[in-house]
Amino acid sequence: MDREPLTRDRFWKLYHDLERGRITRRRFLEVTGIGAAAAVIAACQGGASPTPGATATATPGPTGTPAAEWTPPEGVDLGETLNLTSWFNYHDQATLDRFKELTGVTVNLVTFGSNEEMLANLQAGGTGWDVLVPTNYTFPTYVELALLEPLDMSKLPNFDLARQENRFLEPAYQPPGSTTLYGINKDWGTTGYVINTDVVTGEMTTWKDFWDRTRDTYSGKVTIHDYQLTSIGNALKYYGYSFNSVDPAELKKAEELLLDVKRHLFGITSDYQPPMKSGDAVMAMAWTGDAVQLNRTIPSIQYVIGREGGEIWSDFYAVVASAPHREAAYAFVDYMAVPAVAAKDALYHGYPLVDSAATELLPDDFKNNPIIYPAEELLTPLEFGAAVTLTDENRAELWARVKSA
Amino acid sequence: MVQGPAAVAAPGRGRGRAVTALLLTPTSLWYLLLLLVPLAILIVFSFGERSPVGGYHPGLTLENYLRLPTRQAAFVNTLVLAVASTALCALLGYPLAYYLATRAGSRRTLLLILIALPFLTSFLIRTYAWFTILGANGIPAILGALGVSPRPVLLNTHFAILIGIVYNYLPLMVFPLYVSLERLDKRLLEASKDLGAGRWATFRQVTLPLSAPGLISGALLVFIPMMGEYIIPNMLGGGKVFFVGNALVDLFLQSRNWPFGSAAAIGLIMVVLITVSIYLFLTSRGRVQREVSQL
Amino acid sequence: MARSTALAPAPERRAAATAAAGARPPTDRATRVVGAVFRGHSALIYLFLYVPIALVILFSFNAGDFAGELRGLSLRWYGEAFGDRFVMKALQTSLIVAFASATLATAFGTIAALALQRVPPALRAVYDGLTYIAIVIPGIVIGIASLVFFVNAFDWFNPLVGSLWPGSLGEAPVLNLGIPTVIGAHVLFTMAIVIVLVRARLAGMDRTLVEASYDLFATPWRTFIQVTLPQLAPAMLAGYLLSFVFSFDEYVIASFVKGQDTTLPILVFSQIHRPPVTPKINAIGTVILTISLSALFIVQLIYRRQTRQARALAEAAAAAEA
Repeated sequence: MDREPLTRDRFWKLYHDLERGRITRRRFLEVTGIGAAAAVIAACQGGASPTPGATATATPGPTGTPAAEWTPPEGVDLGETLNLTSWFNYHDQATLDRFKELTGVTVNLVTFGSNEEMLANLQAGGTGWDVLVPTNYTFPTYVELALLEPLDMSKLPNFDLARQENRFLEPAYQPPGSTTLYGINKDWGTTGYVINTDVVTGEMTTWKDFWDRTRDTYSGKVTIHDYQLTSIGNALKYYGYSFNSVDPAELKKAEELLLDVKRHLFGITSDYQPPMKSGDAVMAMAWTGDAVQLNRTIPSIQYVIGREGGEIWSDFYAVVASAPHREAAYAFVDYMAVPAVAAKDALYHGYPLVDSAATELLPDDFKNNPIIYPAEELLTPLEFGAAVTLTDENRAELWARVKSA
Repeated sequence: MVQGPAAVAAPGRGRGRAVTALLLTPTSLWYLLLLLVPLAILIVFSFGERSPVGGYHPGLTLENYLRLPTRQAAFVNTLVLAVASTALCALLGYPLAYYLATRAGSRRTLLLILIALPFLTSFLIRTYAWFTILGANGIPAILGALGVSPRPVLLNTHFAILIGIVYNYLPLMVFPLYVSLERLDKRLLEASKDLGAGRWATFRQVTLPLSAPGLISGALLVFIPMMGEYIIPNMLGGGKVFFVGNALVDLFLQSRNWPFGSAAAIGLIMVVLITVSIYLFLTSRGRVQREVSQL
Repeated sequence: MARSTALAPAPERRAAATAAAGARPPTDRATRVVGAVFRGHSALIYLFLYVPIALVILFSFNAGDFAGELRGLSLRWYGEAFGDRFVMKALQTSLIVAFASATLATAFGTIAALALQRVPPALRAVYDGLTYIAIVIPGIVIGIASLVFFVNAFDWFNPLVGSLWPGSLGEAPVLNLGIPTVIGAHVLFTMAIVIVLVRARLAGMDRTLVEASYDLFATPWRTFIQVTLPQLAPAMLAGYLLSFVFSFDEYVIASFVKGQDTTLPILVFSQIHRPPVTPKINAIGTVILTISLSALFIVQLIYRRQTRQARALAEAAAAAEA
């Protein structure tokens, strides 16, 4: 057994190795201690007899074969396939493979680049999707269009409301304030910006810093999202307005700022990792996960959450109303609600979890990473995106004007 | 289009007609269900209203068409870049096609296959390669090492889009040009030379007019798909250059304003049809005029 | 490309008109210079076409983690690509779509082109117009329009079938977006291409053989199989290949009507847009190139053998006649 102490750097190196396939998942779990924790949790939950793990090719470690952390519901025909619609690099293949081992259901993953595209496809219909991973602000629209079904909690025995942090779960209650739940949390994150501190000097703490320095020192080396919600929202923060403002006068100011900034931008793109890595860009509007990945590759890349505020968001697992494989959909959502399963999956995607029992299982290096779990005082001024922010016609047209300018 | 020779007098007219109808059935079905009906739906949508949560709400309004000028920049960008890249493809492709048709000798077949070969890799991966080449670690780094300062920014510019377009569409220009140049009767060139015409005069007065059909079809093959292009500007333009294609994607998939999106799509079809018709009209009239002037 | 055949070359007597030009005949040196310029220009274009492809192939052997930087050579990313279930599934989906689209387009397009020879000119003009629109209409418009159509059609069709379906047959079939809708949308374009190619070939075809066949009391079917079809084969083959390549690599239309299925271009697009972009992309690109090259090579072989057989047959016929 490996005796080297698990430092933060070592953890990330191991994680990195794991991701690149240089070490096996079991070896990773063994060294970081997550495997043991998972096994303990599974044992406490009275897991069934051990079955060969997803890493059956690996040599057995001292932690033994991972126990079946979850058992499929009895007497339910789950079928053979399940269509999961989500984001790229957001699910560990091993998690999906394990689900297949346990149930015989093959998870067919379809990925999209934006919530709007998912919504547009689902609204158009005929998708055949079963489980969807929507972001908080889409729920009112999905529910109004009857595209998601209210969750049948009796089919989700592993989900425990007491373990959830309400601010992240809240958007899935529809209508707001009711007790009808349309989704359970997958993870959460923030929208800030990354800076390459090799080039970007001086204190950068606010959105004002971001927009001002884009227009002078770092002109031509900055990217913003190709996404009206975040780009307009964070431009509004420059003036101290709400991230979600749909007030015409406030939007006018944001538009002026964006039009002025546009000629100083390197790009309007949600694909900012390559330019940040190559040096084409030194500053970029960014989401948690990208910041984690960039920082891991180039440690001088730091993540900033604007002190004025900005966006905090949470992603969910939801069941599509027209799901052709409804039982399998519930089984999968319940499977992901198991803390050990969610924690293992988080080591792959790198986003913070909502379920406190799952968070417990995460290694300290994960929990203490300030990019993943920012200081509470930075989180306080953040706002959840509102449904109207997504669907507002004026914001959409404003964004079209900015892009075509 | 192509006029076939007169029908063969097959025995049994009545049965022949039934067979003809049967042979046309799949095509008719496709044209009806996947071309005419979808276009009709787009037209209906374009007169409708956006429902508050996005999508389509029935209505009868011209507002979507009246709002088209708000996307004027996208239409202008698209037309300008489409014309520019078509011209650039012609300028680069003509000498190559000429070389292949007249001077390549025994290597001609191989060289022709090599023009088509890039089409056999993925379009997206090919274009992504340019993303790397034009990025900071690509050509700018090489230029920087050679002492060029400041290093130029190539990615996310009009130049990058133009490169991407020419790269992907050049073969479409070269092939028809090659076909028309290859058919060119060499005796005409010799006759021109014998009559004392210089190289340039021969080219201008013999070669160019005779290869005009190839140039015309090449230009159409490049221009038409260019008008709906949105992947190349998306990948190499960094979202800063807005095309009609990008406007359509945004309207349908981001703001989900289907009625306005439908109106913009109809607008795009109109622009393409009108441009192409004018172009065909002008080029065919030009040819008629030339032919008349020779009499 | 049919248009180039449609537009007849200008009359040959044109050459005489150039007699007026009084330039001196070029010297040998000038000829050499012009030749060098042409060669140089062509060489540069080939360089332009092949540098990106060479880079894609080179980086596919990258040992490093990122598509953008080369760090030693290895086959690692090929292992990753072949070991990735999603990549393999998408490849399979794309192959199904491309085979089906090319086959349907070639079959339907060819019979339509044959039938169009025998319809009244007015009707032919209608079909020609539709073919023209099917080719000219931007992919993004047809993608959006097809999506809207399929969804509305399914909304109407599924409940209807569901209510009429006899319970004894089990669950009623439900139509959804997926591989069939992608094939359907692709065939619209590829079929139009085949129609144009085959019609161009028919226009330039030697009719005497068909007439000779009838003179010899061959049935229309025999005539078609033995005379017309072999003459159409090159156009059909070209149409099949073009359709296959188009369908295999098409992203825009497929992205709208794909439903739950993922084709290879859609997978590649989502990988490129969700970092980190790894050399797996390059490995996939190289594999695609290898598959296409082998396909092309096989077609070439078959084609050559057929031409050889045809030539032998023609020689035999000529000998018999003598």
